[in-house]
Formats: sequence, C-alpha cells, structure tokens
Amino acid sequence: MMRYTDFTSHDLFLLLQGLGVSVALFAATTLIGGVIGLGWALLRYYRVPLLAPAAALLAELLKNSPVLVQLFLVFFGLPVLLETDLTPVQAALITLSGNTAAFIYVIAVSAIESVGREQIETARVFGLSRWQTLRRIVAPQAAAFGFGPLAGLLINQLQVTSLISVIGVIDLTKVGAILNLRTLKPFIVWTVIGLLYYLMARLIAGACARVEARLRAHREWKGL
Amino acid sequence: MIHIEGASKRFGSNTILDGIDLRIAPGEVVSILGPSGSGKSTLIRCINGLEKLDGGSISVDGHRVDDPKGLQLARRCSGTVFQLFNLYPHMTALQNITLAPIEVLKIPRARAEQAARELLASVGLGERADLYPSQLSGGQRQRVGICRALAMQPRYLLLDEVTSALDPEMTAEVLAILGKLARSGTTMLFVTHEIDFAREISDRIVFLDGGRLLADLPAAQFFAFDGGLAQPRIAQFLSKMNKS
Repeated sequence: MMRYTDFTSHDLFLLLQGLGVSVALFAATTLIGGVIGLGWALLRYYRVPLLAPAAALLAELLKNSPVLVQLFLVFFGLPVLLETDLTPVQAALITLSGNTAAFIYVIAVSAIESVGREQIETARVFGLSRWQTLRRIVAPQAAAFGFGPLAGLLINQLQVTSLISVIGVIDLTKVGAILNLRTLKPFIVWTVIGLLYYLMARLIAGACARVEARLRAHREWKGL
Repeated sequence: MIHIEGASKRFGSNTILDGIDLRIAPGEVVSILGPSGSGKSTLIRCINGLEKLDGGSISVDGHRVDDPKGLQLARRCSGTVFQLFNLYPHMTALQNITLAPIEVLKIPRARAEQAARELLASVGLGERADLYPSQLSGGQRQRVGICRALAMQPRYLLLDEVTSALDPEMTAEVLAILGKLARSGTTMLFVTHEIDFAREISDRIVFLDGGRLLADLPAAQFFAFDGGLAQPRIAQFLSKMNKS
C-alpha cells in the first residue's frame, strides 16, 4: 500500500521540470544581462556623457543591494508604478538580468582597464580607430583577463536563481519545497536538490575551463 | 617635412619642452641627444599626438597634429618604434605587423602578409613570423617593432630610445638594422643614448637639456671643439657618456 508521503515517478518529472525552469532562467538572464552589462561598459569606453555615469550608478546600486530586495521591488513595486501586471517569471527575468548586467559591467570595466595604456596608445599611433582598437587590441586581451572572474560570476548567478522561488516561480528550489511539504523527508529532498545545483555548477565550471583552455591554446602568451 | 615651432609642454609646474624649433626634411637622419628627463621622448610623443602641446605647433607634411583630422593624416605619414617595443602580446609577429596595414590602409590580407614576411626576412626573422612576442628575445621583439612601423610605409620613422631596454648584443642587432635603413635613405628622428652610433648615421644632431634645444648641428660639427663641444653643457654630457 502506498502512502502519500512516498516518492513517485511523477516527482521525478516535477524535479526535471524545475531543473529546466532554473536552467532556462539562468541561460536567458545570463544572455540578456551579458548584453546589457557589455553595453554599459561600452558607454564607459566611449565616455558617453550622461549615459556612462548613469550606467555606473545603476550598476553600483544593483551590485550593492540584496537580490531578494530587488526581486520584491520589481515584483510588487513595478506593477504599482506602471499600473500593469507582472508574472513571477517576468519579474524574475527582469531582476536577474539586471543583477547579472551589473556584475558583468564590473568585470568588463576592470578587464578593459587591465589592458596596458601603452597598448591603446600604440594602436592609436598606428591609426586604428577607437572601435578598431577595442575590437582588435582591447577586447581580446580584456577577455583573457576577465574570463576567470566571469566563470566565478556565472556559478554564483546560478545559485542566485534559487531566490526566485519565493515569488512563486516553479524552479528547482520551489519543486524542492513542494516535495518536502508532501513527503516530509527534508534530508533526502534537499540533498537531491543541492546535488542537482552542484552538478549544474560543475557543468558551468567545466565548460568555462574548456573555453579558457581553447583561448590559451591560440595564444602562447600568458597574460602580461 | 616635420615642422616644429615653439613647441612647449608642461606637466603641472614642470616644463618639459620649452619652445622647441626643429625641422626634419625628407631623407634626413636626425638624432636627438640629451640627458634623461630632457624632454626627448616627450617631443616624439608630441609629434605622434600622444601628448598635446601647451604652446607652439607641430605639423607633419602640412598636417597639424593639434587638429583631429590633421592628426589622423599626420599619423599616416610617420611610424613609431617604442622603447619597450609595445608589441601586441596576443598576436604573432606577423599579425603585429599586418594589423594596421589591413585595418587602416585597407591592404588585402594576402598582400599585407607577403610584405610582412619580406620585412621580417630582411631583419633576419624570416623563420619567426608565427611566434608570439613572449617567444621572442628582446632584440627580436624590437626588430618586429621596426618591421611593424615600416609596414605602414611611413615617410618619417620616429625612434624613441629603441635600444634602451636591450643588452649590448641585442642593441647591436637592432642598430645594424637602423644603420641599413639610414643608409637606404629612410628619414629618421632618432632619440637615443647611443652616441657613437648617432655620430655615425646622423646628418644632424640635436641636443636637448631641460626642455630647451641647445644645439642643432651637422653631426661632424656637433662633435668638433669649435662646434657643439664649445658649449660646456654638451661637453660635460659627452664626457660623462664616454666614461660610462
């Protein structure tokens, strides 16, 4: 006889569904946040008046306040301000993208600044435009500098996605909460959930290491 | 013609260049001597637009470097070789040389690469085209730096203490190439501490001290007792350099 606290095959399905939601949100917000963060860094590189300082201030605010607070502000505050409804998934997308953008901006800015001034001067003396200098001289060297911090950020942002469960997105953590409530086996449930996050983090780290190795294989130079 | 008129440059309250007048005509080899901190390198950095003048003007073949459009054209006329090479570390020797010809002069890649290989061969680095700067010795790096400047087919070659970071053996390698260039009619503005070499290759020698131009003389006259050596500051500088 089966009791309602037993695990069923449906639970496995639920788990995979939660995993899919977490992975999809992570991938989408990394992509969106990456584009926005690099865009902000470009504003700074070109010293665009008003927009560059605005991006810096926004990034400063986003990286120095709790993601959970940002999530509440977007989920509960934004609909009031704009007089529209926001689904939990939309709120999660906005919040996590913004947060990722802020940290990508910080990494990109420090990576760009780590490229020697003489490298930029040399390119300019040889007549390269600011954009050509960015594309051919600054970006490749900055990418090598920024790759380590980027890998760390991605793994951290994966863990941060678990926060969105509190506004009702059925991600991996929310599935864990549901299973825990029904089965009353917290030790087993949260161990499995934790292991799944761990495996995802290892996958990201492995992928990053492979990309970095490939970057280095093309370049015999070891930074500067 | 590189035309420098009353060029002045200050960093804060420090006067680095103090009303320099100098002309370099096509085909000339002009060496700039002077103690460290006399403004030699700053003068080069003003000619290629890396520093802005506080007074006076510089033009290269009529293109004024204080005007953005003019600077762009002036930079096309001159090629710079740097003291610390400033090679791009993420590119091979060949890529270092072909970057600007391809991106700026829009020369087709195949032609730019062929020209770069010929340049590398002419400085004895024919076999090193595909190595990265970190795999080259200092002297080899500087030879790549010279090729990189020459690949732009500049009318004026600006050389900023190009052997200061090299040991004597590597210095000799690089000077041999510069000597060849000087004899082949390349116009050069040569900031250096290599006095004997400067004497050998230069048409004129310019002496800077404390941002002022103390002498601008034909090479033979600069070292003559009734020429440059008649000036106590120059005599003192040369005797110190000879002792070391």
